[in-house]
Amino acid sequence: MYQALLTRRYLTRKIMPLLASAAVMLSVAMELITWSVMGGFLEELINSGRSLIGDVEISRPQLGIAHYQDLMARLEADELIVAATPTVDAFGLISLGQFRVTECLIKGIEPESFDRVTGFRRSLYWKPLDEPIRKDTLGMDPRLDTDALARASFERREREGATLAPDPEALSKTPRAVLGLEIYGKREIRDPAGFVIDDYLTGRAITANVLPTDTRGGILEPVARRFEIANEFASGVFEIDSSTMYVPLAELQDMLKMDEAERVEAAGQPELVTDPETGEQRFVLPQVVGVEPARVTSVLVRGVDEAELETLRERVRDIYAEFAGEHAAAPPIEQVRILTWEDRNATLINAIRKETALVLFIFGVISLTSVFLVLAIFWSMVSERTKDIGILRAVGASRLGVAWLWVRYGLAIGAVGTTLGIGLALLVIGNINAIHDWLGSALGLTIWDPAVYYFTTIPEDLDAGKVAIVAAAGVVSCALGALLPAWRAAFMDPVRALRFE
Amino acid sequence: MHVIEATNLSKTYRLGKVDVPVLRGASLAVGPGEWVAVLGASGSGKSTLLHLLGGLDRPDRTGDGQASSIVVQTDEAAAPVEVGSLAPAALDRYRRDTVGFVFQFYHLLPELTVLENTLLGSIIGKGRLSGLGDERQRASALLESFGLSHRLRHRPSMLSGGERQRVAVARALMNDPPIVLADEPTGNLDRATGESLLDSLESVRGSGRTLVMVTHDERVAARADRVVTMYDGQVKAAPPVEARSGRAG
Repeated sequence: MYQALLTRRYLTRKIMPLLASAAVMLSVAMELITWSVMGGFLEELINSGRSLIGDVEISRPQLGIAHYQDLMARLEADELIVAATPTVDAFGLISLGQFRVTECLIKGIEPESFDRVTGFRRSLYWKPLDEPIRKDTLGMDPRLDTDALARASFERREREGATLAPDPEALSKTPRAVLGLEIYGKREIRDPAGFVIDDYLTGRAITANVLPTDTRGGILEPVARRFEIANEFASGVFEIDSSTMYVPLAELQDMLKMDEAERVEAAGQPELVTDPETGEQRFVLPQVVGVEPARVTSVLVRGVDEAELETLRERVRDIYAEFAGEHAAAPPIEQVRILTWEDRNATLINAIRKETALVLFIFGVISLTSVFLVLAIFWSMVSERTKDIGILRAVGASRLGVAWLWVRYGLAIGAVGTTLGIGLALLVIGNINAIHDWLGSALGLTIWDPAVYYFTTIPEDLDAGKVAIVAAAGVVSCALGALLPAWRAAFMDPVRALRFE
Repeated sequence: MHVIEATNLSKTYRLGKVDVPVLRGASLAVGPGEWVAVLGASGSGKSTLLHLLGGLDRPDRTGDGQASSIVVQTDEAAAPVEVGSLAPAALDRYRRDTVGFVFQFYHLLPELTVLENTLLGSIIGKGRLSGLGDERQRASALLESFGLSHRLRHRPSMLSGGERQRVAVARALMNDPPIVLADEPTGNLDRATGESLLDSLESVRGSGRTLVMVTHDERVAARADRVVTMYDGQVKAAPPVEARSGRAG
């Protein structure tokens, strides 16, 4: 049909349609990049929660939950639950040496079950790599070292990090700890590609200081203990990586007096008694009346992949209620918090969701300008092509045919602009961190500060659905922009059109 | 039988707030295979008459009680068609199949090649770009007959004025219309080229085609079978050629 022929010719022979296509390209690319980054940020934030608490957390800070082993057994018996793990959380100070002391969330974990719930092992930083990370195009990451000794060293560090226990062959038997990668401010020794260029931490000892409480919440004497850094972890969330440290659960329970202990009589003080037969005086320890069970501050739960978080949370609540009903020492359900990661960060996550929607709405409105831009360009083109319209009518083209020519032309510009926009967006999104790094090195601009935006790299999440929505909007908006000029062209008086100069 | 029988045509244009009557009850009858030249000064309504005959415009409704009509009957066997009352789709078909236009300023689409311009009416009629083998052949033959076989893939901007006008004639003849309407076809050409074009137009009458040509050039009009003049919005029978020559001279 003649519309196809003319559309093709008009598209390739004038600067105006190229400008219109460029406008559509930019608005489509802008929408996609924004949606991708904001969506990626939200997605990463929600997913990163799993690396910290799994899907659901049962917690009772300071005082803890007794008989947690039974609770875990009940949880793991449920079909919706894959694994459960106990943790003890305590805020403390860690002495890093060289007069550096920093506050930190010290998490006591059972590495094996913690890994099943959170994928902890995957987050360990020092381990041999088979392939460079995405931005390390030159393959300079020290973890890529293929030398047998270096590889064995990385493997040992990975093993020690994964178990939080000294290697059988290690000289030092000091308990092991794994630090967040940002605790030491290591960004300063990062290659622009993002990897840490040197490791001077593993093998070093640090001191963790915590304040234990008794079972009633009373503050006891501070406790300090030395740990050797076995490895570091990188969850990708700056907030976590800069202020979290993992130590063996038993160590932290011991430090916080949350391990299993004998319970004595209420008076609880040694008594000085005189032996009636010998007259000797001696101290008699209070009588042991039972065992105080070990406690943990949290039990983390990982559900099956198909499980809805809300459903899982309710199931965990039911299991806990049943568990608490059968253990007098276990806190009642009113005294524990049972939350998903999204619940815990609902304010932040909802704010980001709303911000994403708002930004998309604003950019959507801005993209509407492309409708008016196309309208203005087409209006002008219809004027410029007035004589063509007259000629077409003179040789038998109908009003509808002429209108369709312009709508089709709008659709073609929309399709070209949208295709280019998607290409541009994919190019930018695929290299967004490289572009950001380049902006930083060339212009000194740091748009994405990890300390502000949580993640050390700019996240992105672009799927076919988003692309399809934005593409459809781009093409439809062009067709809309072409409607009025098309109507004008269709109802143009052919005689006047032919006389147009 | 008349191929064209236009009766009592009126047309008034509005320029700003002023009504400008262009046709005031113009009537014209053209027989089959006849070449009629419409002479007249600028603004006399010649082109308007042609536009009405070609269905590019519609005559005004007359207020004097007399019916205004354009009846076209291209074949004795065919029913006469009242052009003024055709529905839009039928009018589009009428412009495409029954008449062929040749304009003073060629009116070729600059983005299309010579061959595509010639084929335009066929493409519109068929509603497709493919499967036009016969039409392409006919267009090529037409262009070849006008000495343009070496210009098929050229764009109008690469042609001379005479060549462009010959392409326009080829386009007008492409759908084999029984009526050709030519509006000052030589008005933009030098004399020799104009003569050559008139030869081409004359040749199209070979198949009994009716030709109505508007011109202000008496020499051009002299080539026609019959000459009428437009004056004061009406069609008058032209005085004899000698008298017109004397007046012109």
